[in-house]
Amino acid sequence: MKKIGFTTSIPVEIIYAAGMIPVDLNNVFVTAESPQKNVEYAENAGFPRNTCAWIKGIYSSTVNCEDIDTVIGVVEGDCSNAKALMEVLELKGIKTIPFSYPGSDTLEKLDLEIRKLCEFFNVTLDECIKVKDELDEIRKKLVYLDELTWKYNKATGFENHLWQVSSSDFNSDYKAFSNDITNLINEIEARDEKKNKIRLGYIGVPPIYTDLYDFVEEKDARIVYNEVQRQFTMADSIGIRDLVKTYSSFTYPYSLSGRLKDIKKHIELRNIDAIIHYTQSFCFRGIEDIVIRKELGVPILTVEGDKPGNLDARTKLRIEAFIEMLK
Amino acid sequence: MVVLGFDIGSRAVKVVLFENENYKKSIVFDTFDFYKNYCTYIEGKIFVDFDKLALGKADRIVSTGYGRNNINIDGAEAITELKAHTFGAVWQTGLSDFTLLDVGGQDSKVMDIKNKKINDMILNDKCAASCGRYLENMAKVIGLSVGEVSNYSQNPVDLSSTCAVFAESELIGKISEGYTAEVLAASINYSLFKKIKPLIERFPAENIVVTGGVAANNALLDFIKKETDFKNVIVPKYPQLNGALGCCVYAGMNSTINLK
Repeated sequence: MKKIGFTTSIPVEIIYAAGMIPVDLNNVFVTAESPQKNVEYAENAGFPRNTCAWIKGIYSSTVNCEDIDTVIGVVEGDCSNAKALMEVLELKGIKTIPFSYPGSDTLEKLDLEIRKLCEFFNVTLDECIKVKDELDEIRKKLVYLDELTWKYNKATGFENHLWQVSSSDFNSDYKAFSNDITNLINEIEARDEKKNKIRLGYIGVPPIYTDLYDFVEEKDARIVYNEVQRQFTMADSIGIRDLVKTYSSFTYPYSLSGRLKDIKKHIELRNIDAIIHYTQSFCFRGIEDIVIRKELGVPILTVEGDKPGNLDARTKLRIEAFIEMLK
Repeated sequence: MVVLGFDIGSRAVKVVLFENENYKKSIVFDTFDFYKNYCTYIEGKIFVDFDKLALGKADRIVSTGYGRNNINIDGAEAITELKAHTFGAVWQTGLSDFTLLDVGGQDSKVMDIKNKKINDMILNDKCAASCGRYLENMAKVIGLSVGEVSNYSQNPVDLSSTCAVFAESELIGKISEGYTAEVLAASINYSLFKKIKPLIERFPAENIVVTGGVAANNALLDFIKKETDFKNVIVPKYPQLNGALGCCVYAGMNSTINLK
């Protein structure tokens, strides 16, 4: 089956309906044996040092992946770097398909975008909805895994992050994903409840650091909410048999106000003490930190990550001091 | 009760000894010298050799600094630098509300202290152009010691690089343009100040307390006085020992000193 790469969450139902394999290129990049090599490879190809590591990682993962020759690039709603990335990938002989989360007149324009994508893959909306029905069953399991984190205090922050973030492509095989998550849930259910002193929320793009969640838990705190990862699961649209409605309530690619509303709701629901706002170095979302700090009524630590790998000493110190401050 | 406070910094290891909650003595080691001569490596772990340190027996040991999690000190409790510096500065100045600037060998920390507790904090950008190491490197380029450089604050020229390494090249450029050593020294100090200014201005207060080895840089203090809104720029008696002092204060916290 043909693999289709993409740069951030897209209506994955369309690719599965077309009988193809969706591949979230971010995951390929960050789970590579040496993600940093991917960054360096892209820099050697000419990507400026002061651009986001994700963009560089996606570039290298794509051009070095022998079986991906087509990439869906989210060129509106994510970042403008993705636009330039598409140009460079075209130059390398990769077929690119632009996809936009429109900034205004969302429903009408998103409808058009989704239809365009269906047309490209030669599938009908009905076929996509059938896939969505199946994916929604898995999404229900993800909602339960999320509850095992915040309600039952059994799943770790990392498990919560990993499985939700993986729902952008369901690890390229949703049936296997479904089995794996069922097994994991059984294992987690058998655990004893473990309450930590401080309950944290994590907002912003998924971290490029691998040990953030474990480090936080070592300090007797736990991340019980992963904002964007949860958004990737489309949990708020389970049972809605309409792709336009589903992907228009996906907060991540739209305005900050929509994200803030969602975050505020979960701060209250999950009884969250403070927020870690993660931004990627050189990302426009770092500017949004100004608004986020003003709008959320809880303490916020902004953590900026650049290179893939473990937390650096300085970031560790800041997180440690932040948790100490809350105790 | 004898308490030892260790601040294991990137350039210096500061050790302070408290007896019955009073400062008794202190020793400052070069970090490399400390690791080489006063530590032993057992199965990949680093242990402090107390016999060699010859400080006598302590009832309690508290450590801080970037090395606190790597060096094993028997029976020691490790606390973060931010906590240690807060305790140290409150103890040294007697103030409750102030902005604390600690400029160390490899980082700068700014803390907003309210009612003797950390209310908020910010660390320097990853670039080393706002710390002691930067001053050392830049001083070397113009052939002066860090101490000599610290006295000049008049007529600085702009060193605009955001990067410590590029700033060195920029400085070499200024030498070739014929600027005097005094002007170049002032420029180095001013470029350090410019990196620190946006950090301290995040937390406006009446008093700013400056600690860390770089508190000995008079030019930096001058710039803070002249170009920011802080009314009082306070350097406590032992600026470099502040973190180690804070460890000792922390150890005594449960008895009479109630800081938290």
